[in-house]
Amino acid sequence: MQISVLVALTLLVLTAVGFLVGRRRALSAADGQPASLHSLPDYYGYYIALWTGAPALFLLAIYGIFGAALVNTLAFGQLERDAAPLIRGYEAALSQDADHQILSGRLDRLNDQIAGLRAELQGGTHSGDVEADVRRLSALTAERNQVQAGLAERRSEVASGIEARTPDTPAGRRALAGFEHWRATPERRELFIADARALAFDEGLASRDTPALRAAAAALQPVERLFQWSAAGAALALAVAGLAFARSRVSRRFRARDRVEGAISAVLLLASIIAILTTVGIVFSLLFESIRFFAAIDWRIHEFLFGTQWSPQIAIRADQVGQSGAFGAVPLFAGTALITLIAMAVAVPVGLFAAIYLSEYAGPGFRAWAKPALEILAGVPTVVYGFFALLTVGPALRDFALFLGYEDAVTQSALSAGLVMGVMIIPFVSSLSDDVINAVPQSLRDGAYAMGATKSETVRQVVLPAALPGIVGAVLLAVSRAVGETMIVVMAAGQGANLTANPLESVTTITVQIVMLLTGDQEFDSAKTLSAFALGLVLFVMTLMLNIIALRVVQRFRERYD
Amino acid sequence: MTEARTIRDAVEARLARRHRAERRFQLYGLGAIVLAVAFLVLLIGSILYQSVPAFTAHEVTLEVELDPALVDPRGDGSEASLRRGSYNTVIQNALQAQFPDVDERSELRELFGLYSAVNAARLLNTVVDQPELVGARYAFSFPISDDADLYLKGRTVDERRAAGDGMLTIIPSEADVTLRADSPAFQPFADAIRAEAAAWADAAEARAAASWRSAQETIDADTREVLEAEAERAGALAERLRSRLAPDQALVLDAQAPSFLVEADGGVFRVRQISADRTSALAETVIAPAGTGAAERWTAWVLETPAAARLITDRQLVWVRALADRGLIENRFNTRLFTNADSREPELAGVMGALTGSILTVLVTMLLAVPIGVGAAIYLEEFAPKNRLTQIIEVNINNLAAVPSIVFGLLGLAVFINAFGLPRSAPLVGGMVLALMTLPTVIISSRAALKAVPPSIREAALGVGASKTQAVFHHVLPLAAPGILTGSIIGLAQALGETAPLLMIGMVAFIADPPSLGFSGFTEPATVMPVQIFIWSSSAERAFEARTAAAILVLLGLMILFNAVAIYLRRRFERRW
Amino acid sequence: MDLTAPDGAATLYHPTPAGLDPKVATREVSVTYGGKLALDRVTLNVPDRSVTACIGPSGCGKSTFLRCINRMNDTIDNAKVTGSIRIDDEEVNDRSVDPVVLRARVGMVFQKPNPFPKSIYDNIAYGPRIHGLASSREELDAIVETSLKKAGLWNEVADRLAQPGTSLSGGQQQRLVIARAIAVNPEVILMDEPCSALDPIATARIEELIDELRENYALVIVTHSMAQAARVSQMTAFFHLGALVEYGPTEEIFTNPLDQRTQDYITGRFG
Ligand SMILES: Nc1ncnc2c1ncn2[C@@H]1O[C@H](COP(=O)(O)OP(=O)(O)O)[C@@H](O)[C@H]1O
Ligand SMILES: [Mg+2]
Repeated sequence: MQISVLVALTLLVLTAVGFLVGRRRALSAADGQPASLHSLPDYYGYYIALWTGAPALFLLAIYGIFGAALVNTLAFGQLERDAAPLIRGYEAALSQDADHQILSGRLDRLNDQIAGLRAELQGGTHSGDVEADVRRLSALTAERNQVQAGLAERRSEVASGIEARTPDTPAGRRALAGFEHWRATPERRELFIADARALAFDEGLASRDTPALRAAAAALQPVERLFQWSAAGAALALAVAGLAFARSRVSRRFRARDRVEGAISAVLLLASIIAILTTVGIVFSLLFESIRFFAAIDWRIHEFLFGTQWSPQIAIRADQVGQSGAFGAVPLFAGTALITLIAMAVAVPVGLFAAIYLSEYAGPGFRAWAKPALEILAGVPTVVYGFFALLTVGPALRDFALFLGYEDAVTQSALSAGLVMGVMIIPFVSSLSDDVINAVPQSLRDGAYAMGATKSETVRQVVLPAALPGIVGAVLLAVSRAVGETMIVVMAAGQGANLTANPLESVTTITVQIVMLLTGDQEFDSAKTLSAFALGLVLFVMTLMLNIIALRVVQRFRERYD
Repeated sequence: MTEARTIRDAVEARLARRHRAERRFQLYGLGAIVLAVAFLVLLIGSILYQSVPAFTAHEVTLEVELDPALVDPRGDGSEASLRRGSYNTVIQNALQAQFPDVDERSELRELFGLYSAVNAARLLNTVVDQPELVGARYAFSFPISDDADLYLKGRTVDERRAAGDGMLTIIPSEADVTLRADSPAFQPFADAIRAEAAAWADAAEARAAASWRSAQETIDADTREVLEAEAERAGALAERLRSRLAPDQALVLDAQAPSFLVEADGGVFRVRQISADRTSALAETVIAPAGTGAAERWTAWVLETPAAARLITDRQLVWVRALADRGLIENRFNTRLFTNADSREPELAGVMGALTGSILTVLVTMLLAVPIGVGAAIYLEEFAPKNRLTQIIEVNINNLAAVPSIVFGLLGLAVFINAFGLPRSAPLVGGMVLALMTLPTVIISSRAALKAVPPSIREAALGVGASKTQAVFHHVLPLAAPGILTGSIIGLAQALGETAPLLMIGMVAFIADPPSLGFSGFTEPATVMPVQIFIWSSSAERAFEARTAAAILVLLGLMILFNAVAIYLRRRFERRW
Repeated sequence: MDLTAPDGAATLYHPTPAGLDPKVATREVSVTYGGKLALDRVTLNVPDRSVTACIGPSGCGKSTFLRCINRMNDTIDNAKVTGSIRIDDEEVNDRSVDPVVLRARVGMVFQKPNPFPKSIYDNIAYGPRIHGLASSREELDAIVETSLKKAGLWNEVADRLAQPGTSLSGGQQQRLVIARAIAVNPEVILMDEPCSALDPIATARIEELIDELRENYALVIVTHSMAQAARVSQMTAFFHLGALVEYGPTEEIFTNPLDQRTQDYITGRFG
């Protein structure tokens, strides 16, 4: 921390110096006639400052991103080399361990059997009792898990034997650290590294404090220090070199302003490219994780898209991997559709009528307070709507349903989530429709009025048909809003993956499940966690398509009346 | 002319109907707006109403005896020793001193349930700060438990008190007491209970009958079985209720029934059973009377809400009442709501932690989204050549603006946390995710502001020999600045209210300490206001309901502040070309 | 038709030829938009079965005057109309007169053709439909056909009635709009610069049409073209700065203007 602050300060000073040097140099090159310079003296200053600061900062940024990983790799590589005797001893012990031999033999056989059975079941060339084979498959899988657990246990027994024999000297502890790191599964390894770094550099709190961790921390420190100093040195050297280089280029005819402005527009271009990078990032991260998910469910994508059974919690139980139906997302899609439908049934008529009233009937006084009121409705955070749905609308609807004699009424229902979401979307629909209605040329209205049409006839028969494409676009955007809305449904719609069309039951949606899967305890890389990304991909593709169509439609509409 | 006449008649014939349709249509429009506004009023109104109890808190002030043996176990008055003291015992002793006759373990547990042990930590800090207090008596105030607080605010328990008829004799027997009146004084209460129970029995019978009927109509065997079991259960319940209701029998009060308390002679008794002739009752002592014997005046204290339907027991309720009557409980403005961070105990929970988190997060968002967004807008509006790349960027920004916020959360989880290894739950990552989400808003509004600057300004600058960059940065940007600022603030207000993407990156954790308001705070685990609202709203404790509503008000206040600044800027610098 | 100019409003009236009975009679009609005077005490008689042209420089209130006659100014929030306008002795500005009924009697054609985004057929049928003038599909078909024939458009569109009105050319659209106006068989037709957006050939066709329509209707047209006014109108009113300066038979106005401003305008000295 201290080094980096020091380096940053020095860089700042150097950059300022660069600026001054540039100005000075330009003025002296001009022989006291600043007007003879190509650019204002300041631009020469900016030019040199840019060359001084930018490359060095770039280097530091690279170090900031990759430095820690590099340090870890080097330090733990060294530790593992120190642990080489232990590792050799461990492998030798394992190869002589009878239990271990037997178990790994069994595992190999089991794997073969399972693979064979799978291929047979999937190949379709299968004859005989499918169900019995499926049962056999899950029995085999369960057995394999048992064997794997046994193997792991045996291995850790052997390992602890080896560890116990290691002397408690600094060297021994280093070897232990390397051994532990080598043996750990990827997740445990990350935790181990994080703990070691925490101990070494006060980066947060370590979850444990063992001699091995201490040794690892001690091994990390010098490497880190070396890298930090060399990065700092390199950055400063780069800064000085940049300064010298830029200074040498300054002359009376040098076009400093063009260079500086070129740099500015490059930075601006970079800023706009970030928008693209975001999209690329979204697409790639969703695709990548989804592919891992589909791989985890053996590429049965059709079951994900068309299956009617959603129970990801059960699916992580090892003996159920491969069981069909646990990741069937149809109940989620249906729930999303149901709630969206209810929301649209509220938002479209109310929003549209509100827009019509505001743009065609309301006087300026009424508009002056009704419009801001609608805008407030749009500005209320969704979590507030969720709270309102959960505590006020939900219970009220349930009591009303009970009063009407519907006995299975629940607080968290599709209806309450949909209603409240509809209200949330009203201002969205109304402001978009308002724009669209106002874009309909006055001459069309005049034409209708001149025929003796009343206001409502004009609106219904001339304005609305003319505005229809724009309104359709607005509704599509609203649908995409509703589909992607999260908090209201998380709080008010419930979690049970019911496949139902009854709005008084609780249903779940794509977004609710994403939240459920990714909050609370989660293990990385499990199909359960990864499925959230597949759902995210579906959500993204769905809303993207809606948006593209909607934006197209609206644009066509605008072109027509421009 | 005659033809014109008939046309006019035809027009006029339909006129009334058309005007009715016109009025109806207009009414629909007005109705839509009224509906939306009514909903807004209902939303704000219900939240205001629900938040009321959160703004005050009942605090108990007790004289605690800072016994050196308890608070200074090593006896040397050092800080280390003071920190090992058992301060909870100190508070417990003070509370027990108020009700000396409570001695049974389970009763004591109930008594100590009136406050949260976390309060002891505050007492500890007080003593560590002022070691001279050791051995002295000290008036210590602490918030009473949330359930007691809600009871005192009249939100959870329906109660009714009435003077009892005639004389009441208190006859102690073993553990309990018998209360004997000289008339059937317990009759009205017994009747009320019986009426209620009879209604329940009726309902249960009706349910049983309904279940039987549908069982008969069901073909599916499983469902039929379930229905029959249900019918049997309901029938049994009805029978049990009825059997208990025979008018000439003793009436046993259980947790499902309203509680009946009797205040007499300075004591409070909890009735367990009313005799068959309704003149006497078997009761347990909650607060011992001044003497035993006869009381001229006594009060029947009925708790309509059955014990099973509330989280505060009869005894706790009586104690709380007694403490209040003794002037030891005061209803004060709840400063903890604003100065504390989150806590599992509603009475100690506050929004400070989330507020800090929100500030840090929005700061990151602002530092990223505004410069990048404005830069992108300047590029697209002023510099970009009209080529494919520009077109792609534009389409892309428009689509990005409509991507659901939760997808940005997934991006943050996959890229910032899993790939880059940035810390979970940190304002830094939250701010980055929200910045990506806000970026399109900032870009779009900044472009609109830049577009509103008339081309003549640019031409004038270029005309006097400024470069394009100079024209933009010296002339166009300053003129567009108010619009850009307004749009950015509105975007940030949106980010301030956003929840879903932050859940993805783990900002939903329970955080008992606010992150430090410094540089390191950006990477410490934190939560933000909307997420705090979400967490509280899913808590089971009733008292969190009011606190959630209060937190919502705080959040809305913040957002109103943001928007007010935006509106002010717009009004102040608005320029029409 | 005898007229007297109100005090201070210096309108010069030419003697009117015999045989013209007034259809629309305005007396001291003034219009303000948000307090700003746009039309100043206009008094004139529009004869039946003839064409009255309103001319004058831009912004002098011609359109405003036209829009008074069918109360289109009602649709503008801040417009205020005073004075009296009578059609066949019936006061237009009377509270009891329903603008809906009035506009069925007074058709209007605008500067830019504004067909509804519907089929040609539906455009023509719109008026009859909302006013309930046809009791059957056949009757409606007949109205559409006669209107289109009257507007001289039938031959061009008979085989594509279902196509959108906006698919026609500018001149055709304007004739479509005229056909739409005459479909409800109005008594008066107002045209606000009906040819200003059209090419000369289309203009000639519309002028022909106006001349034919004169047989059945009272027409009031606003035009910027002196030549057009001279070609199609029988009466001409010259407006200037919101006031009616001079009114009389077209020939008189063009050959023998009484006011200097009229003379300047028709000889093209300003405009
Ligand atoms: N809707 C309106 N609001 C305010 N002023 C208007 C409106 N319509 C016309 N005016 C004003 O009234 C005057 C007359 O306009 P108009 O009748 O359209 O003139 P013309 O048709 O003769 O060119 C003009 O000064 C114009 O600015
Ligand atoms: Mg005009």
